[in-house]
Amino acid sequence: MRWIIICIFLFTAIESKSQVKGFEQELQPAVFSLTMVMMHDVVNPPAAARYYTYSTLGAYDFMAMLNKELPHPSTLFRHYRELEINPDVKKLDVGFTAIYSIYEAGIELLPSGFMLEKQQAAFEEKYRKKGITAAKLEYSKEIARKYVAHVLAFSKTDNYNKLSARIRYTPSKQPGSWYPTPPGYIEAVEPNWRTIRPMLLDSGEQCKPLPPVAFSQEKTSAFHQLAMEVYEVANAASQEQKEIAAFWDCNPFAISSSGHMMVGFKKISPGGHWMNIASIASTKARLPLDKSIYVQAITAATLMDGFISCWDEKYRSNRIRPETFINRQIDSKWMPLLQTPPFPEYTSGHSVISAAAAEVLTHLLGDNFAYTDDTEIMFELPARTFSSFRQAAQEAAISRLYGGIHFRDAIENGVTQGKEIGAIIVSKLKGSVVARGPVNNR
Amino acid sequence: MKTILNRLLSFTLLLVFTLAANAQDTRFKVLPAEQTGLKFSNTIVETEALNVLSYEYFFNGGGTAVGDINNDGLPDLFFTANMGDNKLFLNLGNRKFKDITQQASPQLKGRQGGWKTGVTMADVNGDGWLDIYVCYSGKGEDDMRRNQLFINNKNSTFTESASAYGLDDKSLSTQAAFFDFDNDGDLDMFLLNHSNKKIDNMELARYRKDVDELAGSKLYRNDNNKFTNVSASSGIRQNPLTYGLGIVVADINQDGWQDVYVTNDYNEPDYCYLNNKDGTFKDVAGDCFRHLAQFSMGADIADFNNDGLPDLINLDMLPEDNKRQKLLQLQENYESFELMTSQQLHKQYMRNMLQLNNGDGTFSEIAQFAGVSNTDWSWCPLFADFDNDGYKDLFITNGYLRDYTNKDFLRYWGDYKVRKAIDREPAKLMDLVQAMPSTNLYNYMFRNTGNLSFTNQKEAWGITSSGISSSAVYADLDLDGDLDLVVNRINQDALVYENTSDKKGPVNYLNIQVQYKDKNLFGIGTKILVYAKNSKQYFEVNPARGYLSSLPANQHIGLGTASQADSVILIWPDQKRQALTGVKAGYHTISYGANTIPNSPAPTFQPLFSTVSKSWIAYQHQPVEINDFKRQLLMTFMYSQTGPVIKQADLNKDNRMDLILAGNPNVGPDIYLQQANGQFEKRQVSLPASDFNRFISDMEFADVNGDGHADMYLAMGGYAYQEPGDSSLQDLLYINDGKGNFNLAATALPATNRSAKSVVKAQDVDADGDLDFFVGGRIVPGAYPVNPESYLLINDGKGQFSKASIPFAEIGMVTDAAWADLDKNGRKELVLVGEFMGIHAFENENGNWIDKTGKLFPSGLNGLWFSLAISDVDKDGYEDIIAGNIGTNTQLKFDQAQPMELYYADFDQNGSIDPFLNFYIQGVSYPFVSRDELNDQMYSMRRKFSSYKDYSTATMEDIINPDELAKAGKKNATESKTLVLLNKKGRFEKQYLPAQAQFSIITEILTEDFNKDGLPDLLLLGNKSDNRLKIGSIEANYGCLLAGDGKGGFRYIAQPETGLKIKGDCKSALTFQKEGSSYLLIGLTGMPIQVLKY
Repeated sequence: MRWIIICIFLFTAIESKSQVKGFEQELQPAVFSLTMVMMHDVVNPPAAARYYTYSTLGAYDFMAMLNKELPHPSTLFRHYRELEINPDVKKLDVGFTAIYSIYEAGIELLPSGFMLEKQQAAFEEKYRKKGITAAKLEYSKEIARKYVAHVLAFSKTDNYNKLSARIRYTPSKQPGSWYPTPPGYIEAVEPNWRTIRPMLLDSGEQCKPLPPVAFSQEKTSAFHQLAMEVYEVANAASQEQKEIAAFWDCNPFAISSSGHMMVGFKKISPGGHWMNIASIASTKARLPLDKSIYVQAITAATLMDGFISCWDEKYRSNRIRPETFINRQIDSKWMPLLQTPPFPEYTSGHSVISAAAAEVLTHLLGDNFAYTDDTEIMFELPARTFSSFRQAAQEAAISRLYGGIHFRDAIENGVTQGKEIGAIIVSKLKGSVVARGPVNNR
Repeated sequence: MKTILNRLLSFTLLLVFTLAANAQDTRFKVLPAEQTGLKFSNTIVETEALNVLSYEYFFNGGGTAVGDINNDGLPDLFFTANMGDNKLFLNLGNRKFKDITQQASPQLKGRQGGWKTGVTMADVNGDGWLDIYVCYSGKGEDDMRRNQLFINNKNSTFTESASAYGLDDKSLSTQAAFFDFDNDGDLDMFLLNHSNKKIDNMELARYRKDVDELAGSKLYRNDNNKFTNVSASSGIRQNPLTYGLGIVVADINQDGWQDVYVTNDYNEPDYCYLNNKDGTFKDVAGDCFRHLAQFSMGADIADFNNDGLPDLINLDMLPEDNKRQKLLQLQENYESFELMTSQQLHKQYMRNMLQLNNGDGTFSEIAQFAGVSNTDWSWCPLFADFDNDGYKDLFITNGYLRDYTNKDFLRYWGDYKVRKAIDREPAKLMDLVQAMPSTNLYNYMFRNTGNLSFTNQKEAWGITSSGISSSAVYADLDLDGDLDLVVNRINQDALVYENTSDKKGPVNYLNIQVQYKDKNLFGIGTKILVYAKNSKQYFEVNPARGYLSSLPANQHIGLGTASQADSVILIWPDQKRQALTGVKAGYHTISYGANTIPNSPAPTFQPLFSTVSKSWIAYQHQPVEINDFKRQLLMTFMYSQTGPVIKQADLNKDNRMDLILAGNPNVGPDIYLQQANGQFEKRQVSLPASDFNRFISDMEFADVNGDGHADMYLAMGGYAYQEPGDSSLQDLLYINDGKGNFNLAATALPATNRSAKSVVKAQDVDADGDLDFFVGGRIVPGAYPVNPESYLLINDGKGQFSKASIPFAEIGMVTDAAWADLDKNGRKELVLVGEFMGIHAFENENGNWIDKTGKLFPSGLNGLWFSLAISDVDKDGYEDIIAGNIGTNTQLKFDQAQPMELYYADFDQNGSIDPFLNFYIQGVSYPFVSRDELNDQMYSMRRKFSSYKDYSTATMEDIINPDELAKAGKKNATESKTLVLLNKKGRFEKQYLPAQAQFSIITEILTEDFNKDGLPDLLLLGNKSDNRLKIGSIEANYGCLLAGDGKGGFRYIAQPETGLKIKGDCKSALTFQKEGSSYLLIGLTGMPIQVLKY
């Protein structure tokens, strides 16, 4: 039975007219080029997830228009309407159009999007040399731009541009409240992110987690014990725990200071990391371009919603970071292994979005989908192998305890929150399974 | 015709020649090394192992010491090089020098591989010959850092003897200062050290008690040429957070004991160590100074305004030009600033600080007023009279080899790491080092104008060599009566400027070498007072000043036009006083003589105001804890802070004035009813329970219902928490029952909640026998700087009010208002002032409001007015106006020719007003906003300017296209000074108040004959600390009393005479009579009410 389905897929793919093949290999570089620009711009984690969503949405809409087996984004994403054009498919190259649209969206959306212009031009040149006619290229680009423009117009209605008009976060002096953390003491990141329109969830409050363990300075309190756990785990962290913490650090801007100079060591954001995991898995599953794009787009939307939900809670509970509490109450000179990111502690963002993404990827690509994640090699962190997306998500979650930047309840309740988000999204994706199991396990 | 042409031609030629001659004939002339023989350069070689990224103090520069090592009367020079050889040069006269390092002692070159820093010439062993002490720091081993002491063998050779004297200290040393801290007649040593590990966590109060033996400064006591480390018992700070870069020794509090000022880089505040006279010091920086330089470098202490009190300057790194301000990292983090102040690190800002000594233990920081606040990456300040005019000028060295706070570079750094990682290549520090831009900077030479300010004479005096300058010294190297300059530079020959003043005409000067006794023969710590004509000049013999430098012990004193000093008074370290009269210009040596008398302390006089020991009102103001910039990122000031408000009225008709205090958030006024015995009975008025976010900004007491009792109008202000139309913005009227009990008249007022208000003034506007109210609109919450609504509320005679239509309902952001009959036509005008507003007057002429502004006032009065007072100060029978402005002690410089402009609109159409403040810097108007702030406010700008460099030259037109800009709102300001408008029979003339009135924002003006000479005086109060960090706290006003001459002229009365030491943001003030005595009551944000008797 599985074979049959795969055969149908293959057939569909082959049947795709006189199209240039091999664009599957262009998807990861295109999305990763967005990641690079976002690293350059130091885009914060929630905003990064939003950019991934809109950058891949045009390509997804285009592909869904061509392959009716894919659920159309307008049936999934709130307020999203189909772009009602009927391009002459014979006059364009499908793969080129889709990938081109991703670069184009990046150029239009990202602050330093202009940096992608060279890559986009090189991409075009490559396929010109491969024999796509000038007329076809031009028409493909025209169609790609139409999809990008459509998505851009949609993105403008998600309240993002109203963020700068909202009152920002003033740190409270209440003892249990989040306070900016060393070394940069950066102002709270995106305190109004809850106001961004989610893609699949009804609102940021839909998967509201349990409240955090009540703050207390009493040594016998549950909260103090949570803090002691962070302190002790971090102080006695094994080499493997340290490696896990570093692997999932995903801090877009860890500040290091030298004299008057404060420089940021840049890393891929948590969302960027999961986008790449989705890429790795799609490649491993040998998905055709349209399905790969679908996986990318749904993963991005899941991440975006995960961050909206998590940020909703972060600025509801405004909870203190372990570093601040431990410095004030336990050990004034303690420093966590990872640099504390600049926003309230509860719930753990990485826990929420990793759990949500893992649920969705499990649904799309199957459980027990083993893969090797080499995303962080560029930061001199060796690849890690996982037996499933959920295992990876669990590791990402607990890494925040090893790293000394989250309390356990923020991790565990964050995972629950993420799973709920994932389940809601999966329920909407019903009947859209791409592959029934890991390709390699057969 | 021909002759005319010829004449014209020759005139032109003459002009050209004159100009050319002037160009060459500058006061200073560079003497090349080939000519002087001073061949020395502090050569720095950057390597992968040793560079600015591996050692953060890599470019801090080398030291310079000047002194006469062979007692031949000619100043000799010693330079240290960080990596290369130190050099000692003997002055041969005639501006020729000889390198005698090798003969004098090969060890003087310095330890190979050691990192040499500051150098000091001092007579350490008290034998009358200058010795040399060289400091070491750097990343090397302990023994590579041991400081060296070269004892003078009295024959132009030296013997290294640090170990024998106990001074072979291995700390991370910046500089040593030798002075007699225990007044026992010999020189002790303060060793200034610095940490080499940055601690970023700012919640580390507990670190401050740690002792770091290498980083902490040290105090060594001299006992018969054996130096003992007495730091532990001396009270000096030795924690690992200290980054000592500058040290100056002076008798700061004029008690006869030497004090020490130490500057600290980074978050650690500077220390102002007052000598406790018992071998210990106490840091009083937080008491004396309202704020400090954050990245403090070199410092100097001297009396620059000739009032006999030592003033302080210390340097930081704020650039002068717009481009570098935009390119380099500035302070913009409110979170860390808040943390800094909460950790007792004091308020610290990144700019030079000029602390004017008020003589009462307080200092007014006026670097911006004086024009010396922005001199870029500055190291060495030196106060000295370079033009011999009797006022000390100010020289500042400048430069850093690598712009490592360049924001584009910082971004590049982050990307570089990632790119290298992707390419699997190792990241090389040298790649980064070489990617850092390098900018040659100019030094600054400021001439003292004699009126508390300075002007840069770079071109006029010929201080035009650019480079990377570090330490510097002045001395009359060629004994021609003017001070020459020597600057130690990185990778360039030391710069020698010959002062050619003597060649431009006669110079009048004194050069005084004092000879003291015991083991302090150079008289370190001696004070010199020079009186010539009507001037007084004050000097202290303290070579420890500047940066990594030591200066001559002999003092150079310009005499201006006087050919002699009428008298010279020396106050020796033993507090004996010695006076000489008729001292002729020229070189003098004055020895400690037999004709000394004990120095009697200056007579103290009874100050005009004295603080009441026990305040009769226990009102503690609670500030609003909010950062308004979290709501509108691009505002310049905060507006939420409106209290406390103080008013007086006889509320129960017992012929005693009562007090009413308000301003705590969401709390009604407290009524203090004065009893017959002078005590107060306190009552509370509650606000309606239904709302929160009520902030009372003003109160007025007026009988609105004709029952003879003063009723209470509460005006509501605020900013951060409210929206226009909120019920919490609605003003409230309370009716007095005649016994001082107030009941809310809930329906008496029409809606007044479209704006936050600042002021309410009662007046019978329509001459119907009842009192009406004008209420001034201050701001639209969340929509700065849109004009808020002001209200005129008309009384129906029974205390019921209706809103009248007025042409000035949206005149601007009103801060103060008054009713006065300015033109003596029998009808009172409403006078209005405000932020980005002029001074306006409106008169109600039979129901028509006539704008009399143009008729009464001169033009060009748009200012940032914060207060207003009406009084006949010149006693001509016409009411004059005193208006309080922002003053000239800020970064915001503007005038008629170069106005400050404020553009505003919702440019990105996201529902928020985007205000852009623009003012002129070096002749061009630039937006104040940084690129980071701009990007946060308008997301579209992230794309518009792709780098800091792109943005660094942008003007308003580059940010917003001209079409949109033309549609935007625009305000401007052309007058920044606090002034008096003298009423010349209905036509007003502008007259500026003295310099001290311009030191700060003036928020309250009281007019009264305070000094009881029968003439009206002005008391100006103010300050505002809740501003953008790039503006910083404006708080140089401690209560400025200006004595009137009865003709409209005013004279500043020194703080010790007034006794005023008001510290904080003044929001209200009044004079109050109680039991036949006069009191001054002052409301300061977050403080108890201040009560002073006078």
